[in-house]
Amino acid sequence: MSKTDEPEPEEEAADVSLAEEANPVEWEEAANNQKDPDERRTVSKREEKDDARKIVTGEAKYAADYAPEFPDLAGSKIVRSDIPHGRVTDLDTSAAESMDGVYAVLTPDSPEVPDKRYTSAGQSYPEPSPWDMKVLREKVRFVGDPIAAVAAEDAETASKAARKINVSYEEYDAVFDTEAAMQPDAPQIHDGDDVENVQSGADYERNIEAHSEGEIGDVDAAFEEAEQRDDLTVTETEWETPYQSHCVPEPHTVIAHRDEDNRHHLIASTQVPYHTRRQLAHLFDIPIRDIRVSKPRIGAGFGSKQGMQIEPIALALSEAADRPVMVETTRREQFHAVRNRRPARVSVKSVVSDDGDIEALDMAAVTNSGAYGPHGMTVASAVGKKPLPLYTHTPNIRFQFDAVHTNLPIAGAIRGYGAPQGHLAIEGHMDEVAHELDIDPIELRSRNAISEGDLDVASGILKEKEYGRRIRSCGLRECVAEGRAAIGWDDIEQPDADHLHRACGMALTIQSSGVPGDELGAAHIKMNEDGSFILQTGAVDIGPGADTVMAQIAAEVLGVAPEDVLVQPSDTDISPFDHGAYASSTTYVTGQAVKKAAEDAREMLFEFASRMLDEPESAFKIDEDGAVSERTGESVSLEEIGYESMYGDEVRAHVMGDASHCTEESPPPFGAQFVDVTVNEETGEFEIHDMVYAVDCGVALNPDLVEGQIEGAVHMGYELATGDGITFDEDGQPEVLSFRDYDMPTTGDQPPITSRIVETHEPTGPFGAKSVAEIPVNGVSPALSNAIRRAVGARVTEMPVTAEKIKAALDEK
Amino acid sequence: MSQAGTEIHLTLNGEDVTFEAARSDTLLDVLRDNSYTGAKRGCDTGDCGFCTVVVDGDPVKSCIRPAAQLDGAEVETIENLGTQDSLDPLQSAFVDNAALQCGFCIPGMIMRSKVLLEENPDPTEAEIREALSENLCRCTGYEKIIDAVQDASSRMADGADVAADGGRLPDEQGCPGCDCHDGGAER
Repeated sequence: MSKTDEPEPEEEAADVSLAEEANPVEWEEAANNQKDPDERRTVSKREEKDDARKIVTGEAKYAADYAPEFPDLAGSKIVRSDIPHGRVTDLDTSAAESMDGVYAVLTPDSPEVPDKRYTSAGQSYPEPSPWDMKVLREKVRFVGDPIAAVAAEDAETASKAARKINVSYEEYDAVFDTEAAMQPDAPQIHDGDDVENVQSGADYERNIEAHSEGEIGDVDAAFEEAEQRDDLTVTETEWETPYQSHCVPEPHTVIAHRDEDNRHHLIASTQVPYHTRRQLAHLFDIPIRDIRVSKPRIGAGFGSKQGMQIEPIALALSEAADRPVMVETTRREQFHAVRNRRPARVSVKSVVSDDGDIEALDMAAVTNSGAYGPHGMTVASAVGKKPLPLYTHTPNIRFQFDAVHTNLPIAGAIRGYGAPQGHLAIEGHMDEVAHELDIDPIELRSRNAISEGDLDVASGILKEKEYGRRIRSCGLRECVAEGRAAIGWDDIEQPDADHLHRACGMALTIQSSGVPGDELGAAHIKMNEDGSFILQTGAVDIGPGADTVMAQIAAEVLGVAPEDVLVQPSDTDISPFDHGAYASSTTYVTGQAVKKAAEDAREMLFEFASRMLDEPESAFKIDEDGAVSERTGESVSLEEIGYESMYGDEVRAHVMGDASHCTEESPPPFGAQFVDVTVNEETGEFEIHDMVYAVDCGVALNPDLVEGQIEGAVHMGYELATGDGITFDEDGQPEVLSFRDYDMPTTGDQPPITSRIVETHEPTGPFGAKSVAEIPVNGVSPALSNAIRRAVGARVTEMPVTAEKIKAALDEK
Repeated sequence: MSQAGTEIHLTLNGEDVTFEAARSDTLLDVLRDNSYTGAKRGCDTGDCGFCTVVVDGDPVKSCIRPAAQLDGAEVETIENLGTQDSLDPLQSAFVDNAALQCGFCIPGMIMRSKVLLEENPDPTEAEIREALSENLCRCTGYEKIIDAVQDASSRMADGADVAADGGRLPDEQGCPGCDCHDGGAER
């Protein structure tokens, strides 16, 4: 697929030589990491999800289900700004405070409420997000800013009290559009002097939270050359996506209380227990040792819970009320006051030769951060640096972004993390180029796309230092072939009616596996007498089945069944450290820590087996009989070792293993999205017959769970492509505040999804695995837009795709 | 509850119970206040279906059903189905088809599916999609959930011979087709 048939110009080779050398194709892989399918005991098997039985019996406990354990638990209500921009001039809480059953009313001036600035983004330290918010806010910047909070004997009483709080505002002009927000006369949303930990390129007078740009080669020169030459075609496109809600099933929920040791304990629906602990310690000036964050079952996250949003309010309320407090957000708050996918406008310009070689790509993104900056810089960066590696061979690439504030809800992290917005632009653009040049769209991509052995430099486009990422596994071509066959790309039959037209569209997709050089995962495993194990990791299972996969990895090393590895849920008092569930990192990063910890424990097993059978340690291997001597065939079971290790006559030592894992590697998974659609050229109405997604996630450690990730992410991608998202009136008031108003697909309108797994082997991943949780969300918007373009010649560039937009595009032709 | 309460008498999962309820309490409030936490609170507006329970044989969004109206009603919740050691065939089908991820929607989804299969033991895919269309799921794209309900339908049909006498099996005999319950001495 790569353009290896053309000799590289010398100076270009010199540019990347250091990165080439630093990232050789060869990888020193442990012999046990690569197993043929028939050698695998539990990895790549459809093992039952470890929490499945308690989920179907209703016994799985989510944060709110712990309420009955706290007889004196208070309910709560957060009072939120109902204007988009202004200052609270008066907050009269007297009526609320005098109500029966009200325990505490907090305002920004309350002693329990920290006055410090922080970011809600649950990221590494120091966070690559500006510290621009306070727990309760006097200056308000969107409809939904928290300004006060009430704790009372139950949530209903708290809500009644909250309604009695009288808020007076001084209102400011507000701005809701990113282009308008960057104008010199636009209302200024943040005073730069009030922001700490400012991100690169910030210009708060123009409401710019962050700006950056990077270039490979010489893009301007490539466009100048294209003007002179007939065999080079310049194509320009522009794309747009709306606000999207995560629609997490479980609303954000926290119970905060003091435990019997007088420590602060939070039972929180969070993806980032350790980051939350650190950020709470900073905000409240409490030693880290006095805070415990435990994660029960989580009703999904998708990035929504990669942030500390209600935890500080819960902690402050429990201090003020001097009793346990539960903060449970409403669905209404979930839609406008928690976090969303940020809208983006992305433009792409390219130079492509008549043969279909891409000579230059020039991409620019403007993202709408909303009122505050969590994840603003990093998501805006990802709009370019995630999809561009698909075409890293392009000699001239430029990317720039502006992350811009408006008086709209706060954007945050959400599945795909900027990549869906970027994929719409790049993969939509590719089909426009193919159309311009009259080249088959798959052929155009095959000619230019990345492949195994390549050095990806495009993902480092915003880095100052020379950067390269070696691609050691890439099943992109196989995914295209698999998806093409499954959707019937070559066998589409046109409907009988003349006004109906059917076609397939496709898009390539790519993501990463963790944040390279940043994320740390750790694991501790200990054996019980009977040869079963308890595994403690900081891996935060928020629903996809991370705990199950961790058990499979440990079980594969230790020769036991996965149900013999009990995985304890993430808890900062118990689990080894972990950055948390985000960036598609858990299987790849924490999974490798689990593998190493299990191998560490296996060493101890062999020490005991050696003494028990009088054979050298090096003679042993693990199989289902336990530790087996490869010389004599004699074996000793794990149970025998378990009892010997704890009660034996010779040496007593607990069989345990520990390990950490942090890596510069972040191998991309790859995939191909296909959509089969029929369009009515008279009305613009369309029907999707099938959405096929084929993924290369290395070795799929649990195919059931991988298919689940594909199907759920394609569902979410389909909604991004066809749903209205969250809309606002001209005063910045959200128009979508319930599931009834939001276009989340139901069983009645969700088109079928077909998932395909293309196995490759990633030598740097645990048993060959890469990530899969985010990548399948990236491709539906471009594949659907491309399918409609191929069916009736109408191009919809602004999501959502609607019949009206198709009709309008057809009328324009 | 602080407000002037009233007593509600229900048949809950086959047992007569009496709960205190405030006038504004919904059935979901009363269930969860009394530690029946299987039904989940997802919206409080009757739009997500996570709180679905069965009232007098019908699937009901318990978050919008006033408790005070339910005096004398027969209510069934997820807690009445099988146990982890002995799942009912519908629950087994969800487990075996990996039809769950975060699980927050699943108790409601199972209760809704239970009513569907009682009313229509052999539903088509379109009928399943129609019946479940008020129960949202954000994790699965619904693919495996629909598989699970179809699978449950065939499991229950396979078990129909033994279920014809009210679901009881001859003493000491396990159910061959599924793990609906151990032995036959159900009481």
